[in-house]
Amino acid sequence: MKVWSRLVALVIPFAMLIFLCGFTANPTLQPGAPVIVTASPSYQPLAALRGEERFPLGAHLLMVRDGVAQPLVPDFFASADASVSFDASHVTFAGRERANDPWQVWELTLSDRSVRRVTATQTDAIRPLYLPDDRIVYAQRGSLGFQLEAASIDGSAVLPLTYLNGSAIPANVLHDGRILFESTFPIGSGESPEMYLVYSDGSGVESYRCDHSEASKQGRWGGRQLATGDVVFTHGKSLAKFTSPLATEIAITAPPAQYAGDVVETAEGTWLLSVRSNVGRRYTLVTWKPGTKSLQTILAMDGIDLVQAVLVAARTKPNRHPTALHDWTTANLLALDARQSRDGVFDALPVTVRTEMKDANGTAVTLGTAPVEADGSFFVKVPGDKPIRFALLDAKGVVIREEHGWFWARRGEQRICVGCHVGPERSPENTVPKVLLRSTTPVDLSGPVQITATGGH
Amino acid sequence: MSRSAQVGISTAIAALCAVLLMAILSKSTVVRAALSEPSVQSKGNVAGFASPLEVLLSPDGGRLYVLCQESDSVKVLNTRSFAVIKSIAVGHLPRGFSFSHTGDRLYVTNSWDDSLSVIDTHTLAVVANWPVGAEPSSVVADNSGKRLYVANRISNDIAVLNAETGDEEARLLAGRGSSYLTANPDGSRIYATHVYPNPPARRSGLDNRMPPESEITVIDAAKAKVIERIPLHRIAGVFHIAFSSDGRLGVAAQLHPKNLVPLAHVEHGWAFEDTLTLFGADIGTPIEVPLDEMERYASRPFGVAIAPDKSRIYISHGGSEIVTVVDVAKLMHFIHAHAGPFVQDLSASANFVIARIPVGRNPYGVALTRDGRRLFVANRLDDTVSVIDTRLNREVSKIKLDSPAKVSPLRHGEQTFYTSKYSFQGQFGCANCHIDSTFDGVQWDLEPDGFGRDIVDNRLLEDIRDTEPYKWNGGNPDIPTECGPRTEKYFWRSQTYDNLTLADLSLYIRSIPQRPNRWRLAHRQFTDSQDRGRVIFSRTTDKFGTAIPEQNRCPYCHSGAKGTNQKSFDVGTRKATDNGALLDTPQLTNIALTAPYLHDGSARTLEEIWTVYNAADKHGRTNDLSKDELNDLIEYLRTR
Repeated sequence: MKVWSRLVALVIPFAMLIFLCGFTANPTLQPGAPVIVTASPSYQPLAALRGEERFPLGAHLLMVRDGVAQPLVPDFFASADASVSFDASHVTFAGRERANDPWQVWELTLSDRSVRRVTATQTDAIRPLYLPDDRIVYAQRGSLGFQLEAASIDGSAVLPLTYLNGSAIPANVLHDGRILFESTFPIGSGESPEMYLVYSDGSGVESYRCDHSEASKQGRWGGRQLATGDVVFTHGKSLAKFTSPLATEIAITAPPAQYAGDVVETAEGTWLLSVRSNVGRRYTLVTWKPGTKSLQTILAMDGIDLVQAVLVAARTKPNRHPTALHDWTTANLLALDARQSRDGVFDALPVTVRTEMKDANGTAVTLGTAPVEADGSFFVKVPGDKPIRFALLDAKGVVIREEHGWFWARRGEQRICVGCHVGPERSPENTVPKVLLRSTTPVDLSGPVQITATGGH
Repeated sequence: MSRSAQVGISTAIAALCAVLLMAILSKSTVVRAALSEPSVQSKGNVAGFASPLEVLLSPDGGRLYVLCQESDSVKVLNTRSFAVIKSIAVGHLPRGFSFSHTGDRLYVTNSWDDSLSVIDTHTLAVVANWPVGAEPSSVVADNSGKRLYVANRISNDIAVLNAETGDEEARLLAGRGSSYLTANPDGSRIYATHVYPNPPARRSGLDNRMPPESEITVIDAAKAKVIERIPLHRIAGVFHIAFSSDGRLGVAAQLHPKNLVPLAHVEHGWAFEDTLTLFGADIGTPIEVPLDEMERYASRPFGVAIAPDKSRIYISHGGSEIVTVVDVAKLMHFIHAHAGPFVQDLSASANFVIARIPVGRNPYGVALTRDGRRLFVANRLDDTVSVIDTRLNREVSKIKLDSPAKVSPLRHGEQTFYTSKYSFQGQFGCANCHIDSTFDGVQWDLEPDGFGRDIVDNRLLEDIRDTEPYKWNGGNPDIPTECGPRTEKYFWRSQTYDNLTLADLSLYIRSIPQRPNRWRLAHRQFTDSQDRGRVIFSRTTDKFGTAIPEQNRCPYCHSGAKGTNQKSFDVGTRKATDNGALLDTPQLTNIALTAPYLHDGSARTLEEIWTVYNAADKHGRTNDLSKDELNDLIEYLRTR
């Protein structure tokens, strides 16, 4: 670790020299507003999902205005991950003030360039994004990787949002107030990057779409929402998008290149992108008008990746999520029909559902089983704020199907699923689930005592 | 069993059920409205706002007739210049209109004074004003020129009138809240929809937990008889119907509520789906088609039009404030390629909805020009008519009607009530559950009380001012509390109004007037039965001469002008799934309209409140009453 820090410390000054010497800008192609971009000798966009450093050779935020790039926080040893406030008066970012500091969340006032520290933790806090109501969300390094946390913009009232067995990195705050974040697929256990959603109180975690089989081959990451509501992201070597009407992604026909996600939509409708021609090349900042065949370079630096561009412009504030969590330590989960699944028809009907939890050591602990009714419904109480997963069992106790990933429910959350693995395109049928006609009290699988309930259909 | 046989049996069952339920509903006779309180009618109306509700093009296409609800008028516009040719005063709160088959007459139903205005389309003068049934909401003429059909919302039926004299010849049982009528292109059939779901025909013990059922009532226009009831399963709230010019494709706009699953969240169509039912020769067995998307909803479909070449279906959405455009060929291809129902698939609409066109606030009625090039859309709450170029699929003009320069707080509150934009992803609004500011006739399982617990019947909003607290458990002390943080957290699940907007919304809700009570005679007089019922309501001793404890007398709880002392009591109606026994005393305002009854909607009728759910006489002393006496009591209550 010490060797690594020293190496970084040596490399950074070189990087700064490169900034000053190899700067190529095209003033005629500048977007309508100033741009803040992260400049780094090496950008590893998915490293944080593995708990690793995204900028192993350092990084600095640059303010690009009228074709001129200048360091945004020159006194910092490193800076990255800029996010502009909704009124364009402030910028929150991840920064290391000194070489031995961990990444922390900071806020800069654009009018006077004053800088204020937001988080004060012993481990890295990265990728801050503004939330409505003067809050932010960011990724905080913990024992299992990065987890999302929300906090007031002054750093107080920290609220952990994710409880994964792996890392979660915020990508964007959507117009509807939900947080788009990256993790692996299956969530918390796989290797391939995938995009998920969560409310700003940590409830309602779900996949953005469930067309995982195609996407998992190359992974999806770097998503940002456009004014239309579409979410554009990097898929493999190209771009793709999610759009409201479709349950599966749509490929975007863009010029051949490698895209670093984090697409910025300008007021003129062009996109600001970080692209490189191949792995050995550097990401440059380009504009692209969707539908056209060419990319226009607006900023390039020799030996430097230019990534994570954001516009310094006011934007519409997303809707605030009014949390409805109850004051409980547990959560209630209701499945309307566990038999419904994108994974196909069941060979045998489930009779019970088994719930497992990952304990603090990362060991899977069985919490017990609950009956599944004839209509496929079940209703259980589970521990809040813990990685959990379900398995469906037949009459002999044999697993028919089980979740491969781990999700969580917040303390006090009451949540319903249409089925055990159906996509967001599936709405519930308007029927009273049989389990609620049997009892409105959930089977208590909140542990620590293992409970085995029987009597499924 | 063959498909046609299945359809036939299901239709027959539906028809039987409908007859049974109407037998339940029609036990009492609706008295002709006696407008003894004219001042009540004007409460809540926003002076000066035109409020276009429906639009109609003259047969030659030269004139656009606009039904203006708040200004009690029909405005006649030139379709080239959009200039107002004439504004014709009609009755109070007109709701529907249509031409005679020759186009010489325009018939207008006036929903609050139970009349039908007859307009000569040559002179643009009202030539007759006929009394009709209770809350007439729609009218169509047959092709022979002999008959008119009028949908009566309150009496749940369709009146058959002599087209020359207005004399009523027959009443046909329709769905509950009978409201919209459409003739097929050759005029041989009249199709009727209704806005409240039909009550269950038989008691099951779980009536309040059964999916809502609605119907399209089909009438043989020549015989003036109901010949079919097309069941609309799981639907509550059906609005306009349109036909293709060849008559082979019919489309109904409707709401598909999710009232039986706990309302724990609203994404993924959890609160409502917005759908069409397609029927007719092109379709065979009727099929329900979703219009929503995963993150974008088509809230509250209302008006429908089909292009003359049957290439497009246009639907207005009162909550989302858009018009959706469906490509019929794509829709048919999708239907034929996907066996089985797909209404739960929010990605289905991508296969046939080709445009979502923003229009004005609260768009309702639509009218398509004969060449199909232009679509007119009545935007009720911004007093405009949108003109859509159907080749461009965008609004190219907006016709402004009477409207004050400044939107009043009351009007702003009404706009807030009718939009769906405040809920998460714009899925639904106040008016989803309070259709036309009333109720929806279904029971909901709200999340905060626990899944499957505290099932609540939706209550009427009319004249609720000064009846606080609100909620069945009396948990909300006032309307701003009811409609503010609680609604934001447990219904909209998203940031909603600012305080000013909440104040305006509260003002609007407090101002919703009571509809004229159709059971009440003029000058506060009573029929003999009502008078006997009034005495029973007020009695202090039972039939055995035993004093009824004060707290068990009707007027103790149901006191005051609105019939509530605004306190909570245990009247013995608690169910095993209820968290408490204490229930807010509901006001009695227009109680005849608001079946089902009790806090959870378990009583299908007023009678059942006492015959089924008052075994211990905790809900008033009633077990000493004979059936006739109970009927008298109910007849009195219907006047409240």
